[in-house]
Amino acid sequence: MVPVSSYMLLAAGMFSMGLYGVLTRKNVLGILLSVELMANAVNVNLVAIGRSLGDGRGEAFALFAIALTVAEVVVGLAIVIFLHRSRRSIDVDQAASMHG
Amino acid sequence: MMPLALDILLACILLLVFVVDLLLPAEDKRGIAVVACAGALITLAASFVLDVQGTAFGGAFVNDAVALYLKRVFLAAGALGVLIGMDHADRFFPRRQGEYHLLVLSSLLGMTLLASARELIFIVVSFELMSMPLYVLAAMRKSERSAEAALKLYLVGAVSSVVTLYGLSLLFAAAGTTMLSGVTAAAKAGNPMVVPGLVITLAGLGFKIGVVPFHMWVPDTYEGAPTPFVAFLSVAPKAAGFAALIRIFIEALPGQKATWAPAVIVMCVITMVVGNVLAIPQTSVKRLLAYSGIGQMGTMLLGIGLVTPDGLGMLLFYLVAYLFTNMGAFAVASVIEDASGSDHLDAFKGLSRRNPGLAMAMLLFLLSLGGIPFVAGFWAKVGVFVAAYRAGYVWIVVLGAVLAVVSVFYYMRVARSIYMERPVAGTEGRVPMALSMKAAVTVACVGVVGVGLYPAPFVETALAAARALMG
Repeated sequence: MVPVSSYMLLAAGMFSMGLYGVLTRKNVLGILLSVELMANAVNVNLVAIGRSLGDGRGEAFALFAIALTVAEVVVGLAIVIFLHRSRRSIDVDQAASMHG
Repeated sequence: MMPLALDILLACILLLVFVVDLLLPAEDKRGIAVVACAGALITLAASFVLDVQGTAFGGAFVNDAVALYLKRVFLAAGALGVLIGMDHADRFFPRRQGEYHLLVLSSLLGMTLLASARELIFIVVSFELMSMPLYVLAAMRKSERSAEAALKLYLVGAVSSVVTLYGLSLLFAAAGTTMLSGVTAAAKAGNPMVVPGLVITLAGLGFKIGVVPFHMWVPDTYEGAPTPFVAFLSVAPKAAGFAALIRIFIEALPGQKATWAPAVIVMCVITMVVGNVLAIPQTSVKRLLAYSGIGQMGTMLLGIGLVTPDGLGMLLFYLVAYLFTNMGAFAVASVIEDASGSDHLDAFKGLSRRNPGLAMAMLLFLLSLGGIPFVAGFWAKVGVFVAAYRAGYVWIVVLGAVLAVVSVFYYMRVARSIYMERPVAGTEGRVPMALSMKAAVTVACVGVVGVGLYPAPFVETALAAARALMG
């Protein structure tokens, strides 16, 4: 059996990649995908821990996390559409009319 | 009474607002705001009348003194927020004002649940219930700036949620259970996953309350989002972020304070300095209040970093003072912005001649933000710094005093525009103000003066709650 620590290392890798994507991507959709990668890293973590505990808590936690991420992405995509309609671009560097 | 009574009552009011929104004709939906505001007030009153102390769901939900205190802060902020937004929503998005108030109330429900949550899944779900309506609220105005503000709030919120979630998953790995009491036990046993877990959780929550280095989104969001919503956003979700910090760090992990307390102290010192210094050159009043708010967050965070009952109690009291002060200041900014289309300092020039009452109210809020004696903000600042002195952080007290002087300088720049300068040509007339906005500013003034003159009951309740939590 694969030990839990391997799964958690995988999750840490996924999380780091997602974080890197969030910090470097210019396109909002790219950032959203990176956030999604981070969220799934959390889910890998939760399910792996849940499996080793064997009482279903981790899996339940993961189910809640998935539902919340979906809801969050729906709101995010709605905001992206709103932004696109108001100026035909979803590049975050152009979303910088406010400075100071 | 059952411990969940307040939250169930608020949920019922939320559904009522939803139904009322469907029943009212599209042309006139002003009644919704009245229902929403009254609902929040009724829940607030119920928190004093009903006996809701106790635990539910096997300890996952707890209504202790701190939870009740925070719930009252949230409900007061929610009622005031609805009142401030009433006229603005009716003027700028009349057909969608039902959504606006519904979303404020659902965010409020998330906060009241969060104050009681003592289990990881519960914390995550109520945190998201609080956050998601805020993203939509920031995008309520159909303008490019509103879209940009919403995008920034959303991206930061989504990333911080995921980071917090990752930190909590590590705490879960350490504890083997989702109850915070299990996390405490794992920390006592010296589980190696606890430290990375709490550090990552702290970073995620730091984003949420906007402390340096996670503060960049705050001014942009405040500038672009609808101002009455900013009045709510600048107080209630921040207080909820502190609620999560209190539950996870002070209640569950006091034994690990050698690890996290220094990090919190460093964050709070940097936040105080950066917020107050960057506020100096601002010419937009909303941005100025945003940066000053970052500085205030730093001072409040001190209450967490000290890890003493005094510090925590003073943080709780600070939230009450900050609620009236900051919401009042943003309400005035909203009146000016709606009247002149700008929140630039120039728009405030000569306000004392155009509307003496409003000018007086703004002066009062600015004095309270600056911590001038005998208004609410003074006792809050003094309380936190006395707690810091007692905990042995004399240098923070000195730094705080210096920064208080700096803050008075930029707050008085606004006051100078209001009192010493002539109105810009074309804006000489009286500032129009809706009845609901007059009521909101009056309530905020009464709060600032009332808490300033009679701080004792608030301070005593806050300290008693803090002592009950920390033993």
